[in-house]
Amino acid sequence: MDRDVANYSVEGRIGEGAHGLVFKARHIPTGREVALKKILIKNLEDGIPINVMREIKALQLLRCKYGYEFGLSTGVYVLRFMGDVASQPTGTNNSARKNILTDVAQRDADLKPANLLINHEGILKIADLGLARLYWPDGGRPYSHQVATRWYRAPELLYGARFYSEKIDLWSVGCIIAEMITKKPLFAGESDIEQLAIVLQHLGTPTEETWPGHSKLPDYHKITFPDSTPTPWSDLLPGVESEAIDLIKSFVLYNADRRISAKEALRHPWFHSRPPPAAIDDMPKPNINKPK
Amino acid sequence: MFSTSSQRKFWTFSDENELARHREKHNLNFISKHGQHIDEYQRYNFFLSPEEERLLLRQYELHLKEFCKRFSPPMPKGVTGTAFHYFKRFYLYNSSMDYHPKEILATCVYLACKVEEFNVSIGQFVANIKGDRDKASDIILNNELLLMQQLNYHLTIHNPFRPVEGFLIDIKTRCNLANPERLRTGIDEFLEKVFLTDACLLYAPSQIALAAVLHAASKEQENLDSYVTDMLFRDAGPDKLAILIEAVRKIRSMVKMVESPARERVRVIEKKLDRCRNQENNPDSEIYKRRVREALDEDDIPHSGASRMSLDTSGVSQMLSPSAS
Repeated sequence: MDRDVANYSVEGRIGEGAHGLVFKARHIPTGREVALKKILIKNLEDGIPINVMREIKALQLLRCKYGYEFGLSTGVYVLRFMGDVASQPTGTNNSARKNILTDVAQRDADLKPANLLINHEGILKIADLGLARLYWPDGGRPYSHQVATRWYRAPELLYGARFYSEKIDLWSVGCIIAEMITKKPLFAGESDIEQLAIVLQHLGTPTEETWPGHSKLPDYHKITFPDSTPTPWSDLLPGVESEAIDLIKSFVLYNADRRISAKEALRHPWFHSRPPPAAIDDMPKPNINKPK
Repeated sequence: MFSTSSQRKFWTFSDENELARHREKHNLNFISKHGQHIDEYQRYNFFLSPEEERLLLRQYELHLKEFCKRFSPPMPKGVTGTAFHYFKRFYLYNSSMDYHPKEILATCVYLACKVEEFNVSIGQFVANIKGDRDKASDIILNNELLLMQQLNYHLTIHNPFRPVEGFLIDIKTRCNLANPERLRTGIDEFLEKVFLTDACLLYAPSQIALAAVLHAASKEQENLDSYVTDMLFRDAGPDKLAILIEAVRKIRSMVKMVESPARERVRVIEKKLDRCRNQENNPDSEIYKRRVREALDEDDIPHSGASRMSLDTSGVSQMLSPSAS
């Protein structure tokens, strides 16, 4: 991996996230396409932010078969160019969708459609690991609750939970599946409070039975919402086949312990009903020459 | 996992000679770069010799140990271990005449705190440092990116502490050793000393951990040889066992040889260093202060619209000049 920024020519801007700017670039000596990520260092007070350290560690750890190529030069990461952002797969066919989701179900990060990338070989990558953290199975360490983009954020995070688990990602996965099928976000709140209001309005006011321990969450008593009864899922997702609804509602549950695990989900009938998940060769390829 | 880590691939060396070669090379590079005006036979009267650099760095490793031990709030062992790794790695490829060890020491610990998720603010951190704290935090923040670069951004460190826990659990389950917890004191003492040696640049964390366990057992008049041969290595074959036995023997002998450098000699070396160090990297020197001023002036030039697309590293240079914020 060439660490000299002078050897890359920038060809365009791919995106801008909370953690930096991403450029499409070409490695001049080899002609290879890469993505360059420039880290934004906003808080100079304590030096290089800790999320940058986390992202570097996570990327290096993931340097496996479908992982990232990774190199650094002052403040710029070089990542293998991934082609188009996969928020477009919301438009692709059902069988490609299933293939994407079998993959998503197996990893975790700041999960949202904009962070699911498909490269021109049709291979999925999950981007933006700035919020990826080491997972401590003993549940003994507090985490920041400002994680996961709002629409995909699990309700326990919205109520300020500091002790949570990988189950927050399962909520996100459910929201992503719904969005990929209906092409619009399941719960699209404009603010954290509205997000919570929308979730509560649709899933109904939580009870000790549907969500054990919810009244003990840090921010629970800070705000009350009008009582509501759950909206039937067939009204929430009109026209969506019943197997897909069944899978989505197994993810989108108040009680984190009852959310379907990624492994179980892969055995769900939806993945085994027609059409079957697309083989890798049959995946629609993003047209990388298309001007954005 | 250690076996697929950058630590194993890039930072585990074959033997002590290889380490010595790297260090000598950077000593010579520094001298040939900065000592052109001095007669070749007189150079070591002015510059530090490789041996003097070693002695100085050993002294600073002792300082590092003490600093971490006294740190408030109390620091997890992993942070100390990681800081030691960073410090040793840095001076494999840099001369102490280029970057003063007292400055790199603090930066290593600060970076280790972040990487190991031991969250302290820079203010809390420098509260542990004697003297001018504003200056200290400038130095640390200035050196942070340099240190990361010199580490090749290989930030993940595999320390021996986890494998130690694994061995203790395993011994409790499979051995009939009475009260394995009593080994802890011996293990902790051993691991504290092991970081004053080059063992972590030469051996796997699990080998170091096993050496610590076996050392602690022998201090308790216990013998775990059959645990190693009949349980750990039962199916591994005699050649693998031989490699392990040699590694454990070597690590234990390295720990046994640890001794503090003579105070008088270190004092002389420090004095010599004050004169021969690279003044461009000395925050107290005129040349350093002038460079910081120049960097600041450059920042004042307004950016044209066209530069938005370029990958200029202005964000970085801003960070390198302390008063920019």
